[in-house]
Amino acid sequence: MTDSSADFIRRGRCWVFGDNVCNDGDMIPFHFVLAREQRPEILKDHCMIGLDPEFPRKAAPGDLVIAGRRFAQGNAHIQAFFALRGLGLAVAVESIPRSSLRNCISAGVLILPECAGVTSTVHTGEDVEIDFRTGRLTNHTRGAAHTYRPLDEALLQIIQRGGWEAHFRDRLSARRSA
Amino acid sequence: MSSQTLTQKILSAKMERDVREGEIIFPEPDLVVVHDWYSANAGRTLRQFGVERLYAPDKVMFVTDHEPIAVSAESAAKQAEIRDIARQFAIGHHFDVGRGGHGHLFPVEAGFVTPGMFVEAYDTHVPNYGAVGALGFPMLNEIVEVMALGSVWIRVPGTIQIRLRGRLTPGVLIRDFAQKLIADLDADLVNYTVVEFSGPAMEHISVDERFTLCNTPIEIGAKSAITEPDDVVREYLSERVQCDIELPRSDADAPFVHAAEYDLTTIEPYVAVPPIPDRVVPISAVAGRPIDHAFVGSCASGSLNDLREAARYLIGRRIDPRVRLFITPGTQAILRAAIAQGLIEIFSAAGAIITAPGCGPCAGGRIGALGRGEVSINTGTRNDPGRLGARDSEIYLASPATVAVSAITGRIADPREFARGAS
Repeated sequence: MTDSSADFIRRGRCWVFGDNVCNDGDMIPFHFVLAREQRPEILKDHCMIGLDPEFPRKAAPGDLVIAGRRFAQGNAHIQAFFALRGLGLAVAVESIPRSSLRNCISAGVLILPECAGVTSTVHTGEDVEIDFRTGRLTNHTRGAAHTYRPLDEALLQIIQRGGWEAHFRDRLSARRSA
Repeated sequence: MSSQTLTQKILSAKMERDVREGEIIFPEPDLVVVHDWYSANAGRTLRQFGVERLYAPDKVMFVTDHEPIAVSAESAAKQAEIRDIARQFAIGHHFDVGRGGHGHLFPVEAGFVTPGMFVEAYDTHVPNYGAVGALGFPMLNEIVEVMALGSVWIRVPGTIQIRLRGRLTPGVLIRDFAQKLIADLDADLVNYTVVEFSGPAMEHISVDERFTLCNTPIEIGAKSAITEPDDVVREYLSERVQCDIELPRSDADAPFVHAAEYDLTTIEPYVAVPPIPDRVVPISAVAGRPIDHAFVGSCASGSLNDLREAARYLIGRRIDPRVRLFITPGTQAILRAAIAQGLIEIFSAAGAIITAPGCGPCAGGRIGALGRGEVSINTGTRNDPGRLGARDSEIYLASPATVAVSAITGRIADPREFARGAS
């Protein structure tokens, strides 16, 4: 597999949310969960609308969602992360429950999962760059930077590959050709 | 070798090297358990990905517990599909309708699970296997990767140590403590850890009760739970397994991320109030609330001991005419034992209905559901709105003793105020 450091860097406007953003309801309407809808191109138009009905129209690919503690808390359903993927977004959060972190990786969304205090260093609309491999978050608007613990390389590779399905196919192919 | 927690020891044995907390590994489980509501999806996913044979089909077990009695033609068709998948993929152990029972209980009861084993399952309450010192990780849909390739990524979790001392007082059960514990612990601290139980009280805590202990921590984000296996476990397993039973345990100076100690003598009956299992209050805060529905069973409280505790209060009494009470023995063997010990007669005479072994109403209220505005007190695992039917119904979670006395009085009641029968 080839990849360059640039594959793990995102720069865009940031969208800042508080603590306890709820997986179902805040991040994705619950009826998509019940319908088991998993297509990012459908879900993207409903991303985060429980907190900001205009969000899908305002956010652009490369933008960053930055949130507080217990991001995607509640019942972990992967639709919330397929919606983020559909919009081409990446995430930096102060904390995230394990089941939602697993969904984030499975959906192929880049994340910095342990950014203590990050929401107090950024405001919505600021120009932010994150290197998900080194954990460095640069706020170009303020000229400030912080470094957080990045996700393990093995998990970044799963995300970069496109998430769980692509990773599973790769492992199956490797077994067949072994 | 540096000192290790029990969990690190189990995972190190699987990897044949020392693993450290936070490391990403692909350990191969000793047993893979898939439950009936997911088995068909697992088969479809395997076919969709072109998988023709499983990595180790003899280690895979299909269980039938969420809907053992098909309630529709669609359900019957799904059961038929599962039989077809089990044949196609040569599933090593297929416990079909009426065989085994609850997949979080009978594999332990039947000797499939031993101390130090590593098990991965589809369903969230596989940490129950911690009752005998095995490590159970739920994997949800990624269980198909384990079926096809023998492993899936996990991050080696840290361990929270809970030391128990003292004895529970009359009318108080281990379920009361298990609920109190998850209300006390900080969810951020518990996130992705294994909760390990040990301490001098363990010699008085049966394997049946250990299922309950290990069942609740996942509700606040633990990855799993485990009890330090001891002579209680050795004795329990002695008649169930042929092999030698080893009792691995955490090193005395193992790197626990947090440690706490509880005196069980101080525990009182607790009730989890809607809408989450860790919103827990002393029973005095909700006593007197009228109920419509009551249920004893589920992977949290479906053991023979749980049925016995409920029966103690129901012997010679009848439940309130406004209440319907469901009793779900966890497994076929528990049902047989409950018949032999006269418990089923007690329940039946009291006006309760006995359901097929398995999850019972707790599996989404497919049977024994709640109607609009109704109130239930039960021993299920969760109390989310709509979990047992109507979204505006209310679910209170409590011990089998509290559920039994509440069914008798028609209102949430304190078992300490009831004389216990002689059973």
